[in-house]
Amino acid sequence: MMDKLKGFYVKNKIPVWVVLMVLLVTMPLYVSAGNMRIVCRIMLYIILAGGLNVISGYCGQLCFGIAGFYCVGSYVQAILMKTYNVSYWLALLPSGIVAALIGAVVALPALRMKGIFLGMITIGFSELMRLIALNWTPVTGGAMGFKGIMAPTFFGIKMGGASKYYYIFLFVVIAYMFCTNRVIKSRVGRAWMSIREDELAARSLGVDAKKYKILNFMYGSFWAGIAGAIFVAYSTYVDSTYFTLDEGFNVLGMLIIGGQGTLVGPIVGSFVAQVLTESLRFINVWRYVVYAALIILMMWVRPQGLIGASGSILAGSKAGKKKTKKAEKIVKSEGKEA
Amino acid sequence: MLSQYIISQVVNGLCQGFIYALIALGFAVIVGIVGLATFTHGEIIMIGAYASYYIFLACGHNLILGLLASFSASWIVGIIIYKLCYERFLEAPEHISLICTIGFSMLLKNLAQIVFGAEKKPMLNVIENQIYKFGPVEISKVQFVIMGTVIVLSTTMMIIFNKTKWGIALRSVSQNREAAALVGINVKQTSMIGNCIGCAMAGVAGMLIGIYYQSISPTMGATLSMKAFSAATLGGLTSVPLSSLGGVVLGLIENLGISISTASFRDVFSFGFLIIMLIFKPTGFVKRKGARP
Repeated sequence: MMDKLKGFYVKNKIPVWVVLMVLLVTMPLYVSAGNMRIVCRIMLYIILAGGLNVISGYCGQLCFGIAGFYCVGSYVQAILMKTYNVSYWLALLPSGIVAALIGAVVALPALRMKGIFLGMITIGFSELMRLIALNWTPVTGGAMGFKGIMAPTFFGIKMGGASKYYYIFLFVVIAYMFCTNRVIKSRVGRAWMSIREDELAARSLGVDAKKYKILNFMYGSFWAGIAGAIFVAYSTYVDSTYFTLDEGFNVLGMLIIGGQGTLVGPIVGSFVAQVLTESLRFINVWRYVVYAALIILMMWVRPQGLIGASGSILAGSKAGKKKTKKAEKIVKSEGKEA
Repeated sequence: MLSQYIISQVVNGLCQGFIYALIALGFAVIVGIVGLATFTHGEIIMIGAYASYYIFLACGHNLILGLLASFSASWIVGIIIYKLCYERFLEAPEHISLICTIGFSMLLKNLAQIVFGAEKKPMLNVIENQIYKFGPVEISKVQFVIMGTVIVLSTTMMIIFNKTKWGIALRSVSQNREAAALVGINVKQTSMIGNCIGCAMAGVAGMLIGIYYQSISPTMGATLSMKAFSAATLGGLTSVPLSSLGGVVLGLIENLGISISTASFRDVFSFGFLIIMLIFKPTGFVKRKGARP
């Protein structure tokens, strides 16, 4: 099934893209305003999960603190727009860059740590960011946060409301996909993946692990910051309750369901998670239980996610046990055929 | 007057530190001795607190009964966690079981909000309010009971881990699984019981926290597990006595910290402690070869 789809895509690359783009651009015409809100949320989580995917999917660094970068990005955008009256478009890039700089600071202690240590330090960072946002009242507005953040205007058109703001989301998602695709296929992306698979081997082959890990954290947190920045003007207000640890785990859950270490993974994950939680509205609070159970199930059945990088360390093939089993099977089936 | 205030803050800090020490002890047992990675510790604290709450409701104010209830409830949850998150992934990369425990902690938290109700519940007044005076030092009966329970439990654990045959077997499993299996240790069962002991310590700590703060809620565990981790870093996550010491130190830092600022900065101090510890001394103060990174 997957192979057939892939073959179809390779054969008709240009028509597939044209149809997809037309469908995406005209989406507000055939989707109701209520559903557009869900689409916007899917887009937001694609960017967030995408940023996390760069860190924990491509480079294998466990990061549970994506909500911290998200928080930084949205607060920088809100402060620039409300306190300093900077226009929306000019504030976008600085919010991403500030998040990236903080990502570099987090990466410094993370260089020496792995596994649960790294997870905990990112969690600590995320909570620290939230607490600063909550308690540094003169700058961040404290528990009240920022209200009345205006949606931007684009050549005289006001981008307010889900069906118009959707285009900003779409643009950022496409920008994310394009940039990440280029980065992953470059030397940098290959270095990240080699660090994920075996850091020692990567370093012995001349990959500067320190440099690439810092770069990785910066790149991932940049996109999380951008996601925060565009979220602020979409929701029109921001306070620290958006950036709890649960939000970080939520994004991580999406990435795990979708698949780590692939470009399409975050898209599938955020789509499945949002559609699931929306369609399960009738069972009310139980949907979060279902969502959590799905994460555990995913780890049991397909640790690399629905569309994940199979054959990598993400799929749990540490000692190559699964690989050899598969190879044995192939050898056996070939023997039968012969 | 000021010195009186400082002394009472030190006593409060010690008492809180003792609870943190118990949580950190459980954490160090699971992560350091058994060698499993966990993110469910906070939720087990919550389960222990609720178990004792319902026992107090049903059977009256019997502290021993509540202790047994929280102990056994968190033990059972420990078994479930082991079966669900660890047993299958002992050979797999660490991050798989780690993500599994995150999923399980989300599951427990949301399930608890449905079953127990999302709002805060006032804990029953199990111990009557009585204050003992030793010169300038004032200690309430609650603080006495908490410190006593923690000291008894942690010494028992220390004896079990260092003196009994089973404790030595458990430590050998953490050092080398295959070698332990070769000399006839049931690796899976030993690590399961180790995990359960760590969970049970957290459950009892949950009951003590409920009694101390007089309120319990399904989300009470989130920051507590973080604090347990901060405390356990002092011992590099492997040393049980140093982790307990870390808990006491953390309690003192927090309470002295909020006495010079405001109470809303309580968590900032503990996270700051964690980050400073991890930057400057990530292996803690243990002098052992091959301590975790």
